[in-house]
Amino acid sequence: MKRLELALYAFAAVTIAALASSVFLLSAKTPIGLATAAALPPSLLLGFIGLASRYLCRAMPLQSANRSSIAAAVIGSAAAASGLWVLIWKSWIAALGTRFAPIEINYQLIFALGLLLYLTTVAVQYLVLEIEVSREAEEAALRYRVLAREAELRAFKAQVDPHFLFNSLNAVASLCGSRPDDARQMAQRLADFFRLILRLGAQERITLAEEMDLVTRYLDIERVRFGERLKTNIRVDDASAQCLVPPLLLQPLVENAVRHGVASVLEGGTIDIDATLRDGMLRIVIDNPADPDRVDQSGEGIGMKNARGRLQTVSDGKAVFQAGENDGRFHVSIELPR
Amino acid sequence: MIRTIIVDDEPLARDVLREYLAADEDVEIVAECANGFEAVKAVAEHDPDLLLLDIQMPKLDGFEVLELLDRSPNVVFVTAHDEYALRAFEVHALDYLLKPVSEARLQSALQRIKQQSGNPRPEAGRLASALRAKPLQRLVVRQDDGTIQIVPVARIDYVEADDEAIVIHTAGTTLRKQQSIGDLAQALDPGRFVRVHRSVLLNIERIEKLELYAKDSRVAILRDGTKVPVSRSGYARLKELL
Repeated sequence: MKRLELALYAFAAVTIAALASSVFLLSAKTPIGLATAAALPPSLLLGFIGLASRYLCRAMPLQSANRSSIAAAVIGSAAAASGLWVLIWKSWIAALGTRFAPIEINYQLIFALGLLLYLTTVAVQYLVLEIEVSREAEEAALRYRVLAREAELRAFKAQVDPHFLFNSLNAVASLCGSRPDDARQMAQRLADFFRLILRLGAQERITLAEEMDLVTRYLDIERVRFGERLKTNIRVDDASAQCLVPPLLLQPLVENAVRHGVASVLEGGTIDIDATLRDGMLRIVIDNPADPDRVDQSGEGIGMKNARGRLQTVSDGKAVFQAGENDGRFHVSIELPR
Repeated sequence: MIRTIIVDDEPLARDVLREYLAADEDVEIVAECANGFEAVKAVAEHDPDLLLLDIQMPKLDGFEVLELLDRSPNVVFVTAHDEYALRAFEVHALDYLLKPVSEARLQSALQRIKQQSGNPRPEAGRLASALRAKPLQRLVVRQDDGTIQIVPVARIDYVEADDEAIVIHTAGTTLRKQQSIGDLAQALDPGRFVRVHRSVLLNIERIEKLELYAKDSRVAILRDGTKVPVSRSGYARLKELL
């Protein structure tokens, strides 16, 4: 709708300009009424020719590298358009014949007029195109920001299993009856954990120490639910604690280790987490017991795929991600250049 | 008196149910179980009126527990997962409580059970097969000595019908289970397990080759050399897949 309106305006503007100028040229020797009547059809046709310049502008946008070929095309087409206009005038005057008073026309001036009007049209078309391009760029930037925000939220949802929340709230409800102080503490821990996830998740990189803080809080909450069944053994050396890692890289993996690992074994077991820095390589290993008869045998769930994908993105493919199972234990190992 | 068993692998989840149930004088808790194995044993021992059953548990999930019961108590699922709620509702034979558990919901579930007492209960095994996700990922078998075997379906070579029971063949060992071969065929992935014969359900990944045995009948030779009969209609079903 907007485009059509614009085109109509351009058409009207060129036509009126052509008409006015032609009448001015002719009026020296011709009565103004006749001059207007004679000039109207060629002026309308120039309006159309001007409209056609839109295709040229679209085909050769200003952003394209080759400026000289744009200039050549514009000048060439302007000359062709004006030539065409002169031809239209000549045949129109010939068709009119001498039924009315003879009309004398300076065709050089008509040619120059056509050239001028055509070039002006092209300039305006390019201006409109530029405005459109910049508006589209703005829209695209906005769209991208919205998409990025959505992706963050989706990532957050994928990071935290909602059943973790439901089960934890059930534990809080249970503690309210028997140990109200513990219930308060559990509610506090849950709030701290979710706040920390939101804060860390919004950052580009965090230290391994920060990530391990999150992991430890998570495990503390799960320990309230699983009791003796969940044991942990975490060793992070000082050098690796200062390494930068993408946020929420380990938390979903540790969540897997609890959900598909310790929770699937009757007597539970120990989750081992080791992080070392050697020769500029950060190496993290998560190792947990797993039931060999468990239903979900694939080993590579969504959490695992996400972690693998993110590692590859942040390290330009230099990171190594391995997951495997033997002797009833499942392990994930990550190697990330510092 | 409603004799009740609580089954949940989380101690706190059992605590809160016990606390809520204590308010009702008609309820007696006869056992508490931390996993499916204990639950199967406790139900056989106590023959309860009501089973409060978690679904996600180690080794045996709630549906597998139901399948292994030889008695049919009233069943109320207590779980954080709402994805089975619709199916539970469709068979409208049991109640379904979401965690965190609401005391009022538990009370209304108890009321319903009191009103229905005397009505015949739906058979637990049937409920289980109606509720379980398909295709089946693993089989659970209760042996004569009471021990429970879990068989991931990927380990099954083939299943043979034997009277009213089936014999499950996995890497040289066999397990016997009370179930019709037709019911099992319905529950397993049809792209993997094919009824190649009236009495044989075959894991097609185990087939080494097919040989003509007599007019209109063939044998499938499995990777381990076992020969399994293939009927004419069984061969037609196989050909469709291979």
